[in-house]
Order: sequence, then structure tokens, then C-alpha cells
Amino acid sequence: MKKTRYAVRNLSLCTKDCLCLYVCPTGATDTEDSIIDRDKCIGCGACADACPSKAISLVPLEMPLPQPKTEAVVQALDVLTSRKVATEQAARSIAGLTESDTLYKLMRAISESSRIMEEDLMRESSYMLPQSENARAFLQALAANPPAADFPVGKVEELLAMMPFQGESE
Amino acid sequence: MKFKCTICGYIYDEAQEGVAFADLPETWQCPWCGAQKSAFEPVAEEAPPQEAASSSPPAEPGELFDPSMQKLSVGQMAALCSNLARGCEKQYMPREAALFGELADWFTAHSPKVEDATVMDVISQLKQDLADYPEVRQTCVRQADRGAQRVLVWGEKVTRMLSSLMDRYLKEDDAMLDGSEIWVCSVCGFVYIGAAAPEFCPVCKVPAWKFNKIERRKPL
Ligand code: SF4
Ligand code: SF4
Ligand SMILES: [Zn+2]
Repeated sequence: MKKTRYAVRNLSLCTKDCLCLYVCPTGATDTEDSIIDRDKCIGCGACADACPSKAISLVPLEMPLPQPKTEAVVQALDVLTSRKVATEQAARSIAGLTESDTLYKLMRAISESSRIMEEDLMRESSYMLPQSENARAFLQALAANPPAADFPVGKVEELLAMMPFQGESE
Repeated sequence: MKFKCTICGYIYDEAQEGVAFADLPETWQCPWCGAQKSAFEPVAEEAPPQEAASSSPPAEPGELFDPSMQKLSVGQMAALCSNLARGCEKQYMPREAALFGELADWFTAHSPKVEDATVMDVISQLKQDLADYPEVRQTCVRQADRGAQRVLVWGEKVTRMLSSLMDRYLKEDDAMLDGSEIWVCSVCGFVYIGAAAPEFCPVCKVPAWKFNKIERRKPL
């Protein structure tokens, strides 16, 4: 059977009860750094069923292609994203200047909250997955045309080299 | 009469409480999410005929979006990269998450500075957002985009909470946080004021440990 998924362990939930070590047929869970060996894992799911802490999940080897977005949706969301970016920046600048501890905390909360909403809006604006075709095009454009001399192009190139982009694996 | 919190859905039932909603003090807050009285609206006794279902035009998805034509601002690229970092984290790709995180930090640091921003600017931006949400949501309904609709439902509630907190700040000033901390839901951005984080996020329902406490400014 073709392997379609593999197991990953959330180290912050794992209580090291080690049940997964006994049930795994391939020894994939038995590693020194506690990161399940992706190559040995056959995706059977026995470890996830056995784990008393619900620390193991099975993730698909290939993510489904994201739903394509329409021009109208992206344009509509862009109105909100742009204004929330402005709010985030305004709040951060007020926090940096104020003497008041209360206003400082409130503005920090507003900038953090705005960023989370911007992130959701950007995700729904056709950048669903880090391995999507659109994310790759975004990175390629940055690598070809860095926005400033001190921009860390090396990190973009590292991402382009290591990310398993969709449609690339075949 | 019943009144419903537009942020978390809590129902205040006058018959059960024995106190008219109008007689509650202005400082009264939603017991679930801490929203102010102004965030409540009356619940229609008889459910009105569902006009939305019948009268809304049929979905008609339009032309597909072409990202190569889009010009993102520096701030948008910051949010895009920090969201891709979160995506990598969820998929247990720590190195990729760290790289996207560093790109996000670079864009955040290079976002154009707003020098003379005021509290009133923030208030009017939040109000403008609230005015825009229904139209944006309608567009996503017409385009049959369920993912975008869900994000807008959360975002509108969170934005309404932010706007109501700013109004409260105008009234109470520094007394607003007496004995309380500010908590931000790391999943939907909901902001809560209280001694401890709520047991569940009233907007997106994640448990208390998903909330971040806003720490006080580090002394220089
Ligand atoms: S069974 Fe679960 S808790 Fe125990 S070692 Fe494995 S992952 Fe950790
Ligand atoms: S899914 Fe099966 S093979 Fe993979 S680590 Fe778990 S028990 Fe082992
Ligand atoms: Zn939440």
C-alpha cells in the first residue's frame, strides 16, 4: 500500500509514557531526539491510538490543493487587511510613545489582535498553505527582486530549496 | 425581552434575571466575554421570516484571482509571512517556520512608521472596519467562499470587541485595568480583560491556555 500519511509527535503534550515505543511496528518512534523518524514510519496509526496524551497526530504526506480564490473575494478582503495593517502600526507606535501602562498594554493587545486577523485574511486571500504554488511564487518574486539591500535573501532561498512545494514532487 | 451579546452570543433574559436590561448599570458587562452593554442587541421575540435564505442572490463565483498581478504592502507581507510560519508550525516543520518567522520580523521592522498616530485614529479605523464587514461578507457569500466567510465572522466579532474596549478606555482611562490583565486569544485575536484568561475563547472556543497575557513594558 502506498504511504499517504506519517506520524508526528507534539513534544509539549508528550508525557514520555512510551506506549508508542511498544506498538510501533517499525521502530520509527524510538529516536533519541523524540522526533518520529519520517522515513521509517509507515503511517499505520498504531502509535496515535495508543498514546494516552493524544500527543501524536497523523499528517498527510501531500496536502490537498487549496480552493482557488476569486478576484472579487481577494479585493474585498484587501480593504480590511490594509486597514488592519494601519491599525496594527498605529497601535504599535502609540504603545512605543505613551507613558501610561494601561494604554501601553491596550495598544499592544490591539496590534497583536489586528495581526492575527490580518493573518487570517491573508490566508484566505489565496495563501492557504506554505507549500502552495502561490507561496512559492511570492518567495520567488522576493528572491528575484529583494525589497531592500539588507533584506535576508538567503532565508528566502533556503525556503525555496527545502519546502516541498505542491506539484513539484512528481 | 431578551438581549443577545453580539460578540459571544450570551443571552440576557429579563424574565429570568428579574432586572430590566435598561436598568443595568453602564458598567455591567457580559458575563461570558466581558463586552459592554452597548454590544448587546434585543432579540426579536418571534423569529422573523428568514429573508436571507430566499432573497439573497444565487452564488455566482467570478473570475479567478491572479496573485502575480497583486501588489502587497510591507505590512501585508509581514502578516503573510507570520501566517505561513504558523502553517509550518502546525505541520511540524520547525526550520521552515523559523525562516518564515524571520522574514515576518524583517517586514514588521521595515513597515512604514506612523509618527503621529492617536487613539482617535485607532477608534475611527475600527469603526470603519465594522461598517465594511457586512458588504465584504456579502461578497464572499456571492462568491460561495466559505473559508473567507468563517474568517469574517470571527474577525467582525473581535473587531467589535476592540472597538468597545476603545470606547471603554475613553471613559475609564487608566482605571480600566485596575486589578485586571489583558489577554489575547492567539487563534482568533479576541481580547479579554480580567484577572485570568476565560476558560474558553467566547469567539473561537479554544481553551484558556491559547490566550497570551500582555506583559507590562520592560523597564528601559
Ligand atoms: S505514547 Fe504519547 S505520551 Fe507516550 S511517549 Fe509516545 S507520544 Fe509521548
Ligand atoms: S504511524 Fe505506525 S509506523 Fe508510524 S510511528 Fe506510528 S506506529 Fe510507527
Ligand atoms: Zn479565540
